[in-house]
Amino acid sequence: MVTFLARRFLGLIFVLFAVTFLTFMIGHAAPGDPIRTLLGLRQDPETYRRLVHFYGLDRPLLVQFGDYLWRIVRYGDFGHSFGSAGRPVWDVLSSALPVTFTVGLLALALATGVGVPIGVLAAARQNRASDRLSMIAMLILYSVPSFVLAPLILGLDIWLQQHNHPSLPVANWGTVQQAVLPVLILAAGNMAYIARLTRTTMVGMLREDFIRTARAKGLSRRRIVAVQALRPALLPVVTYLGPAIGALVTSTFVVENIFNLPGVGFTAVMSIEARDYPVVQGATIVVAFVVVIMNLLADVLYRVLDPRIQE
Amino acid sequence: MSDHGVPGQDREPEDGVPATVPSLATALALAQEGSLESQGRSNWQRTRRRFVANRASLVAVCGVLALLTIAIVGPQAYGQSATEADIFNIDPNAWPGAAHLLGTDKDGVDILARLMVGLRVSLGVAVFVELLNVLIGVPIGLAAGYFGGKTDFVLSRIADALFAFPGLLLAILVAGVFGPSVGDAAGGLGRLALVSASLALVSWPLMARYVRAEVLSLRERDYVEAARAIGASTPRILLVHIAPNVLGLILTATTLDMASQVVNEATLSLLGLGVQPPHASVGLMISNAIGVLNINWTESLFPGLALTALVLCFSFVGDGLREALDPRSQR
Repeated sequence: MVTFLARRFLGLIFVLFAVTFLTFMIGHAAPGDPIRTLLGLRQDPETYRRLVHFYGLDRPLLVQFGDYLWRIVRYGDFGHSFGSAGRPVWDVLSSALPVTFTVGLLALALATGVGVPIGVLAAARQNRASDRLSMIAMLILYSVPSFVLAPLILGLDIWLQQHNHPSLPVANWGTVQQAVLPVLILAAGNMAYIARLTRTTMVGMLREDFIRTARAKGLSRRRIVAVQALRPALLPVVTYLGPAIGALVTSTFVVENIFNLPGVGFTAVMSIEARDYPVVQGATIVVAFVVVIMNLLADVLYRVLDPRIQE
Repeated sequence: MSDHGVPGQDREPEDGVPATVPSLATALALAQEGSLESQGRSNWQRTRRRFVANRASLVAVCGVLALLTIAIVGPQAYGQSATEADIFNIDPNAWPGAAHLLGTDKDGVDILARLMVGLRVSLGVAVFVELLNVLIGVPIGLAAGYFGGKTDFVLSRIADALFAFPGLLLAILVAGVFGPSVGDAAGGLGRLALVSASLALVSWPLMARYVRAEVLSLRERDYVEAARAIGASTPRILLVHIAPNVLGLILTATTLDMASQVVNEATLSLLGLGVQPPHASVGLMISNAIGVLNINWTESLFPGLALTALVLCFSFVGDGLREALDPRSQR
């Protein structure tokens, strides 16, 4: 485990350095002069010089990068926004991160919490109508992208609203009700995939010798399915969670923009439109960092859960 | 199809009898001839038979062809403008009807016309991304897998670095940062090229990884060693003996990836980083339709359905190819 962690840690440092470097270079390769854009109609050479100096743009590119990297590592300082009167980037991001975190983690928890039981139930009823139907439903749900699902659910919600039925808010952030639809839409595809994955591995597990032994020993069917077979069948789900977190980032961007949630995705897209590259860079690096850490956690969890893996 | 061998033709089938593995002697003879042609042909035939036997993937092939035809000839055949409203008869947010088969959007532009052009964009971008994937990912995967050592290390680290960006993050960054300078060049084509390039940037490492893994096992095969033994040059071994055996893998991976790229292009457009209005794209249509859900909910339905159909078709064709090309699946 120690060797594994050490190797993964080295890889992590390489990857984070690469992400920071690429993001920084892309931000600085952006066409146009950001300071000139910032000044707008009030082009004043003295102010221009001062702003260029404030953002450190008058130094060689590699020196700028070194400084940028050092400030992130040492102070968690991602520089200053081009907009919002030079507000520190971290200020902008730290108010957006909790939103994205909440929505993303709730979606992942919901997807696992509902997907696994559906898969287990389907496997226990293998090849019966309920199994077949639920798996086809899951296949369809999995194939529908979140931005196709979102208008369908939103449309239904708006219809309920227009006909004075109880309905959920369709935008913005702050109340529990406002989180329901975004979380549901983010969870749907992952839940469908996890359900199918769980069913497949459970069906395989139920054919294993150790299950037959358990049955011969007189364990109840319920206990066999829920305990003996489920534990090893959960391993692929844990493996799936790593890549799922990465894919979730993209759908979070989409859902945040559809629902006007003030999360990292929304902030990043707004900043791209405003050409506020320091914020875009910061958002990219922070998101990549979080995902890399989550992937590492998923890997560690996998090793803890699977007793067969030994150094 | 080409006359070369099928990938995995020399993997052992389940019963342990290496049915298609040429013995070293025949491999030597065949290697001198230059290819495993005589065996390859029958393998492709077997593959085709297996693919045709799979009803779901056949239906999906028809689906892809139908959508392709609609995208290519549809806009001209239908005759309505995809970018401008009928100015003498403006009817925004119209429901599906005789005048506009699938209704109109908030600007009064015909949705079916826009959708057909949007499909053209989806398919065009997906094909272009795959083209770039093959052009970049395959040579890099071949080199990394065959030469190993330092070449492999450097190439794999580059792929790792690009992989470190979760999801479409890097593509969003690139398309967003360089989008404004590409602007509306060449009637939106400039933007499409940028979108394709940024999507290819995040997807070629996967292609390279697939190819590398396959080549790692291929280069140890007896027939490759035989070719090396009789003094075949490295480019010849790579192009004549290894590359053809990766073709099936590339075909499967590309088809399956087309489904993702269709979704990815729509995602970028939806975020406002792809084709700009008045040009059409399925993602853009959905994004606009969400704003008028309270007036006419069908506006988002049709683009959504078309996109999902396209995604499902590509996935089923890809799955069918994977099964047909796998010698272990006996249907």
